[in-house]
Amino acid sequence: MNRNVTDTIKKLGPLIGLIALFIIIASLNDSFLDFSNLRNLLRQVSINAIIAFGMTFVILTAGIDLSVGSILALSSAIMANFIVGGMNPEVAIVAAAGVGIILGGINGIVIAYGKVAPFIATLATMTIYRGATLVFTDGNPISGLTTDPTFHAFGQGDIAGLPIPAITMFLSFLILWFVLQKTSLGRQTYAIGGSEKVSYIAGIKINRVKIFAYALTGMLSAIAGAIITSRLNSAQPTAGMGYELDAIAAVVLGGTSLAGGRGHIVGTLIGALIIGTLNNGLNILDVSSFYQQIVKGIVILLAVLGDRKKA
Amino acid sequence: MKKLLTIIAAMVLVIGLIAGCGSNSSNGGDGDKKQGTIGFSVSTLNNPFFVSLKDGVEKQAKELGLKVKIVDAQNDPAKQANDVADLLESGVSILIVNPVDSAAIATSVEAANAKNIPVITVDRSTDKGKVVAHIASDNVKGGEMAAQLIVDKLGNGAKVAEIEGIPGASATRERGQGFHNVADKSLDVVAKQSADFDRTKGLNVSTNILQANPDVKAIFAHNDEMALGAIQAAKSAGKQIFIVGFDGTEDAQKAVQDGTLAATVAQQPELMGKIAVDTAAKVIKGEQVDSKIPVELKVVTKQ
Amino acid sequence: MEIKMTGIAKAFGTNQVLKDVNITLKAGEVHALMGENGAGKSTLMNILTGLHKADAGTITIDGVTTTYSSPREAEKHGIAFIHQELNIWPNLSLLENLYLMQPKTNSLGMLNRQAMLQEAKAKCEEMKIDLPLTKEAGLCSVGQQQMAEILRVLMLNAKVVIMDEPSAALTERETATLFRMMRQLKEHGVAIVYISHRMEEVFSECDVITVMRDGHTISTKPVKETTVDEVVRDMVGRSIDEFYPDRTTTPGDVILTVKGLKPKEFKNTISFDLRKGEILGVAGLMGAGRTEIMRAIFGIDSHEGGEITLQGKPLHFKKPEDAIKAGIAFITEDRKGEGLILDFSIGSNITLPNLKQVCPTHVLNKNKLFDFADSLSKKLGVKTQSVHLPASSLSGGNQQKVVIAKWIGLSPSIIIMDEPTRGIDIGAKRDIYDLMNELTSQGVSIIMVSSELPEVLGMSDRVMVIHEGAVAGILDRSKATPEAIMNLATGGQ
Repeated sequence: MNRNVTDTIKKLGPLIGLIALFIIIASLNDSFLDFSNLRNLLRQVSINAIIAFGMTFVILTAGIDLSVGSILALSSAIMANFIVGGMNPEVAIVAAAGVGIILGGINGIVIAYGKVAPFIATLATMTIYRGATLVFTDGNPISGLTTDPTFHAFGQGDIAGLPIPAITMFLSFLILWFVLQKTSLGRQTYAIGGSEKVSYIAGIKINRVKIFAYALTGMLSAIAGAIITSRLNSAQPTAGMGYELDAIAAVVLGGTSLAGGRGHIVGTLIGALIIGTLNNGLNILDVSSFYQQIVKGIVILLAVLGDRKKA
Repeated sequence: MKKLLTIIAAMVLVIGLIAGCGSNSSNGGDGDKKQGTIGFSVSTLNNPFFVSLKDGVEKQAKELGLKVKIVDAQNDPAKQANDVADLLESGVSILIVNPVDSAAIATSVEAANAKNIPVITVDRSTDKGKVVAHIASDNVKGGEMAAQLIVDKLGNGAKVAEIEGIPGASATRERGQGFHNVADKSLDVVAKQSADFDRTKGLNVSTNILQANPDVKAIFAHNDEMALGAIQAAKSAGKQIFIVGFDGTEDAQKAVQDGTLAATVAQQPELMGKIAVDTAAKVIKGEQVDSKIPVELKVVTKQ
Repeated sequence: MEIKMTGIAKAFGTNQVLKDVNITLKAGEVHALMGENGAGKSTLMNILTGLHKADAGTITIDGVTTTYSSPREAEKHGIAFIHQELNIWPNLSLLENLYLMQPKTNSLGMLNRQAMLQEAKAKCEEMKIDLPLTKEAGLCSVGQQQMAEILRVLMLNAKVVIMDEPSAALTERETATLFRMMRQLKEHGVAIVYISHRMEEVFSECDVITVMRDGHTISTKPVKETTVDEVVRDMVGRSIDEFYPDRTTTPGDVILTVKGLKPKEFKNTISFDLRKGEILGVAGLMGAGRTEIMRAIFGIDSHEGGEITLQGKPLHFKKPEDAIKAGIAFITEDRKGEGLILDFSIGSNITLPNLKQVCPTHVLNKNKLFDFADSLSKKLGVKTQSVHLPASSLSGGNQQKVVIAKWIGLSPSIIIMDEPTRGIDIGAKRDIYDLMNELTSQGVSIIMVSSELPEVLGMSDRVMVIHEGAVAGILDRSKATPEAIMNLATGGQ
């Protein structure tokens, strides 16, 4: 087969998988394809997808970020505290994003300048940020935030029938796709994952690119956190636990190599959709939650096996 | 290409198989909307208490010939919001919710209200939204009962440690509150630490507490899992400690009969589940129900 | 014991490393094996110890034809090879290293540490060396590691010990101990093969010298009957043919001055200068420190002190980025590890350091990038259907052209080339030489580090010879003869 055709099929692999999944679930339950359920699905997917977009940048540089869930919780808690303190909720969302950038930036600085392995560095900050969240909230959820309709809409509202979190997701996707594919920063992100040595010798500002990737992930985690906070109208100290694994799974399902340098954000979107569809579909199909985890695991395994030749 | 097809085929097989045999009920997907299907969102199935609760729901539903869809939030409030949304999408006629968090569940309850689906909360309540009934043990009362038991056995002013549940969880707050209602007057609480309702953490936290406060005579744990951890800690420290747990799980009741656990304030989760389904059945039929339905607690000690 | 290797030939793929090698090793004799890098010394010894299998020829030991299937088997029969890269486990103690493969156990099968320690101590005393046996090997000096390795070999009752550049990483004192150990071994009737580039050592410590070149044994002579000059002539022997294009550019003014540069872990400082349009060849033996000097200049590795002046302006490069901004390019020795991202397309590799220049707004323009990469790729004659194909699809020579292309795109004023033609075919080599000529005619200066003497002689306007981390001399083209270079490179006068 022609090289180009094979490549295209490989790239389309995750998409074909997603479509297959849709067909399977829809054939087993007719309420799955209801418009209202599809909206529901997009709303659910958006949180993981937004985090996974950032994770894609990090993984492309051959890194990993385990602290996304903790960043999500800490930035949400700080945001909720601002809101309770009387800050305009829309401003508070921007402030939360700023907190996310700082927390992610710390990850990046430790990894880039401290030369700490990303796994270890973010494992440590994951614990630190989670602990900081518990200290900050005294272990209690922060609730009764606001009645501001704009803030509520951020997690719960719709525009033209599309859930706002899904719109946030698609907007982030478009911007990040542009950054990754169409700017030198994106090219350098790939280059660092392809070979850090080559990139360094070619004069790429490796540390800056890495810090950017982690800060971006921090910001996106915070935005996801703001969506959750708006949806639950409260900030939970335990929010986001285990989200790093879902985000990594979405990235890997989308065909991005954990070794770095290979992959694309389109795949990540599809990967997140696959995971979200599984969660939603299996619930709709009334599959016991114990089995749901087995199915998720098997699907990830199958996807990665299908991708193995690339590695 | 071939590989891709193989993988898709495998995916179809896996999901098909599991959807078939892993399904909570044998009915097909259709007809949920017409009949009285109960949607049950449980906070976690990683804890025997909630497993008993789920068992109670399942048994009673079978008894009454009702269909029930069960989703497990795995202790994540955001996942619970998704789960409830999914249940509402799949067209249940009534929702039984065992919230992960009282504040976070509010928006989901409101969403159900908007769809005119009645909601019953179990064990933990919701901060907002309309609920036809709330079914729970009286945790504050249970906390008081535990403290009183310690006062009765060890006398006024005994040194006692408290092992708390997940910080902020309503059970933690209420049991702690009840305990302190009595303990602050009649006992000396020398240590207070959280072990997240987890047995291993309970062991570690108790070990530390016993190390730091060798004169502790009694431990009150906010649930049995942590109390069972505390037993191990006391055993390895070679101490006789009066340990009181909460919930009355099977393991804890056994420990009480063995004499390692002094007492447990037993909740009756299975009964709670049964009452929830009974109440739901009444609501479906259009009967009136009480808005607050307490479930009995009892102190279990060695006979 | 006498080992005779006759008519040995060996090829790796199409590369005929050994053509016809004959050598005889005798008990109680220290046999020096000399030759340029790539002459086939290590391959020959690897054949003797069973790592490689000879394509032709025979090995007889005391008259019996023998081939070993693995180095381990060779060791069992008393033939041990101490490699330049020592085989040690840095996380284990020296003692554990000594006994890892042949542990002493008690009747229960448990390690008997006490017995091992006693035996090792006794051996140390016998050899009159002092080793911290219980210290973690990674924390010991290279000399101590090496002595431990020799000790290990002795405990096997080795009859033949092969040492590949044993003194390269040792201090003077450690070297003296090494020689003492060698003499002791000799007294015990052990045959030693000593691979070294150091004339001085070879002439003081060895009995016989065999010189190899291009896969042949050129000469075998007792030390007493030969001279340094003769050995050097045997080593480099070939004439420089018409393979290299004529150098027509006359170098201009000094453009780069390096003064007192001290790369990390160097004992000496480095000073030299480079003229406009000049090719400065940098010769020296493997491990002399040529690459390290270049990496320090370019800012990849750090250096202590020293001045780099470019066109009169003092510069201090902390990272490659700075050097690139100043107009210096560096084509590294390790093409696959440091030159190319093999997964990336040819085009993406070429444009990697040039993104800012081609797309100043940081928004990538596909067409501009393609034109840029395509024109450079064509200019350098990269043989490929399209620059969209991955770099891994190219042959070594074409990959090297891509590396050069990516740097030329920056229009540098100085290009440092570290082993620019290593491992590439003749045709591509000639292309690269022509390109170097063209670049210098346009005023670009080139520093060319090369281990191939003919290349250094054929292409350089001047030759700087590095010996043990110091500039041993800088020769003008007219004075640069193979003998003169080898002499300087091996520490002669």
